[in-house]
Amino acid sequence: MEDGPALEVRFPAATAVLVAGLLAQLGDGEPLLVGDERVRAFLAAFGRRLLRPASARRHPELGSLGFFLRPSELTRTVEALGGAHIRVPRGLVFHIPPANVDTVFVYSWALSALMGNRNVVRLSPRAGVVTEVILDTLHEALAEADPVIGATQRIVSYDRSDAVTAALSAACDLRVVWGGDGSVREIRRHPLAPHARDLTFPDRSSFAVVRAAAWLGAPRAARVGAAEGFVNDGYWFDQAACSSPRTVFWVGTHGECDSARGDFTDHVERVVAGRGWTVDAAMAVEKRVATYGLAVDGVAERIEFRGNALASVTLTDPAAAPRRWLGAGTFAHARLGGLAELVPLVERRDQTMTHFGFGRDELEELARGLAGRGVDRMVPMGGALSFHRVWDGVDLPVEFTRLVTVTG
Amino acid sequence: MTVFGLKAAEREAVLVERLAELTEHHRAACPPYRGILDAIGAAPPYEHVADLPWLPVRLFKTHELRSVPAERVFRVLTSSGTTGQRPSRVHLDREAAAAQTRMLAATLRVVLGERRLPMLVVDSRSVVRDPALSARGAGVLGMMNLGRDHTFVLDEQGRVDAEAVKCFLARHGSERFLIFGFTFMVWLYLRDLGADLAHGVLIHSGGWKRLAEQAVDNAEFRRRLAAECGLSRVHNFYGMVEQIGTIFLEGPGGDGLYCPDFADVVIRDPETWAEAPPGEPGLIEVVSTLPTSYPGHVLLTEDLGVVRGVDDGCWPGKRFEVLGRLPRAEARGCGDTFGRG
Repeated sequence: MEDGPALEVRFPAATAVLVAGLLAQLGDGEPLLVGDERVRAFLAAFGRRLLRPASARRHPELGSLGFFLRPSELTRTVEALGGAHIRVPRGLVFHIPPANVDTVFVYSWALSALMGNRNVVRLSPRAGVVTEVILDTLHEALAEADPVIGATQRIVSYDRSDAVTAALSAACDLRVVWGGDGSVREIRRHPLAPHARDLTFPDRSSFAVVRAAAWLGAPRAARVGAAEGFVNDGYWFDQAACSSPRTVFWVGTHGECDSARGDFTDHVERVVAGRGWTVDAAMAVEKRVATYGLAVDGVAERIEFRGNALASVTLTDPAAAPRRWLGAGTFAHARLGGLAELVPLVERRDQTMTHFGFGRDELEELARGLAGRGVDRMVPMGGALSFHRVWDGVDLPVEFTRLVTVTG
Repeated sequence: MTVFGLKAAEREAVLVERLAELTEHHRAACPPYRGILDAIGAAPPYEHVADLPWLPVRLFKTHELRSVPAERVFRVLTSSGTTGQRPSRVHLDREAAAAQTRMLAATLRVVLGERRLPMLVVDSRSVVRDPALSARGAGVLGMMNLGRDHTFVLDEQGRVDAEAVKCFLARHGSERFLIFGFTFMVWLYLRDLGADLAHGVLIHSGGWKRLAEQAVDNAEFRRRLAAECGLSRVHNFYGMVEQIGTIFLEGPGGDGLYCPDFADVVIRDPETWAEAPPGEPGLIEVVSTLPTSYPGHVLLTEDLGVVRGVDDGCWPGKRFEVLGRLPRAEARGCGDTFGRG
C-alpha cells in the first residue's frame, strides 16, 4: 500500500508499474522540443504503417488517422504556430480518452507529443480491437524510433482507480478529458497542481443545414456525392459521435423543402442500401422507442421508416430539434425560412454544422451572428468526422504549449 | 368456465374487433398515444390482429401513458427495471384493477380449480412487507390472492424454513395445494426440501436467464422437480407489468405457453415486421383486451419467441416459447462523446 497504486503499461513495453515509478521514469531524461524531429519521424513512420492497404481497408478510421499523421500535415501543424514568442512544451500531459472510440487517444496524444510534451494516456481496459491494432502498430514504429520516444511517452491502462487518477492528476501540467459530461465531472473530483489546467471535451451534438433550392438545382452527381457524405457522417459511428448530424434543417419555402427533402431521403436510402448497411433488431427497437417517444412529447409530426436502417422524423417546430441520440440512422427534419433563423435555435452543446448549398460568406456571417452561442465547426456534408487540430473551438497545438516572452 | 376455449380463427375474429375498439378508445382518451398513431399514420380498418399498431413496451419506462384522468387513477404499478433504467409505470383505474385480478384468477382456474388452495410461497415474507414493494413482492402479493393459509418457504433472513414447510405439508400435503415462486427461487430452494410435493401445483415465472447460465432448460427443470420432489404439475407463465393480469400459461405437458381467450401473441420478424410463421423466431408482441386505462393492449416486447404450434395442443390457440431477451442496443461509437475525431 505504501508503494502506491499500480497500473499496467501498454506502451512502450508491456509491464506492470507503480504510479510513483512511472512518474519518476518520465521525469528523467532529455527534454523534447516543440515540433521535435524525433517525434515527427516516429509519428510519420506510425502513420505510414496505418496507411498500408490491409490495415486501412479493414479499419477505415485508421486510414483517416494515418492521413492525419502524414509528414506534410505535421509540418503544417508546427509551422502554423509561429508568432512573436518562444513556444515551449507544457510538460507532462495526462490524457483520458473515451472508452469506446478507439482512435481518439491517438489524435490527442500525437498532437501533444508533436508539441514536445511527455504524455501519459489512460486507455480504458474496455478498449476495443482497433486499439490493439494501434498499439501493435505503435510498437512496430517504436523499433525504428529514437529512444527518446520510449523514454517520454506512456500508454497505460488501469481499472477504475481513484488513487491512480489522483496521482496522475496531481503530477500533470495539463489534463485532457475526452468523454461525456459524466466522465468530465468524475475526473474533476481529482485536483490538479495549482499551475495546471484542464482541457475538456464533454457531450456535444451536431446538425446539418441544406439550402433546399440549391439541392434541387444541383446536378445528380453532386446530390449523390452529398448523400454519400451525409451517410458517412451519420452512420459511421452509429450516429453517436458528437459530430454526427442528428437533425437536418431545410432552408427555403415549404414547397422547395418538401421536394428537396423527399429527393434527399431517396438518395440517402439508396446509399445506405448500396453499402449493405443494416441495423440489428435491438437497434430497430431502440429507434422505435426513441421516435415514438418524440411523438408522445408532441415534437414529432410524422415518423417514417424506410426499413429499419433509415428513420425520418418531421419535427413540429425547428426549436424542438432533439440533441440526444435516437439510435443509428434516425434523422429529425425541420424547415427554416432563412439561415439566420438558426441563430436562436443553437445551443452551447452544438458542435458541428454540416452544410450544403451555402456560400462561404453566408456561413461566416452566420458564425459571427452566433457570437459564441454554439457551433464550433461548419464543414461540408461528408466532413463531419474529419479530425482537425482545431477541435471544439480549441486550437489543440496552442493548448499543448506555453509561451515564453523574450524582449531583447 | 375456462378462458382457454377459443381456437385461433375464432380468437382472431373476437380480438381484432375488440382491440380495434380499444385502439380508437385510447386514441381518443390518451393524447400522447394519438400523437404516435398520427405520426406513423395508423388508421382503421384493421383486418388482422397483426395489422394493429403496436407500441414498444419500453415506452412505458420513458413516458407516462394513460387513458384516464389523474383523479381516476386507482393504482400505479411499477416494474423492477434493470439497473440504470427507469421503471415502467402503469396506471390502473378501479375497473382495470378489478379486471386484472379477476382475469388472472380466471386464467389460473384451469390448473388450480375453483376453490382457493392452501399455498406455499417459495420466497420470504419480507418481500411483501417492504413498503417500497419490489416487482417480485408485487408478483407474490398478486398470487397470494389466489391461495389461502400462506406459508413461506424462506424465513425473514432468507434461509429455508424447513419446520414451516413440514407443518404446512402435515396440514395440506395430502390434498391439492398451490406452490408459487420465481423460477430461479424454485430451482434454488424447492429441490433441497426433501419433501414430497406430489399433490402440489407449481406456478412459476420470472425468466430463465439465471437457470440458462447453469445450463438448465425447461425440460431439465421439469424432469428434476418430478424426480426430486414428485412434482409433476408444473406451469411456467410469461407476463409483464405492462399487461398486468394477462399471463401466458404453460400447458400441463410442458409443450409451450398458451394464450387465454382475451389475449394472444404475434411473433414478428424484426427485419420486415411481418408476422413470422410458426417455427420461425422473432420478437414477441403481446395483445390483450385488459388494458383499458392505458394504451397497453398491443405491445412489442424485447423478448424473442417462437410459435410452436396452433390449435394442436392441450388447449386451443397458439402455443409458443420464449427464447430469451434482445440485448440492449448500444452504439459502436461514443454514446456520450465525440467520435473518431
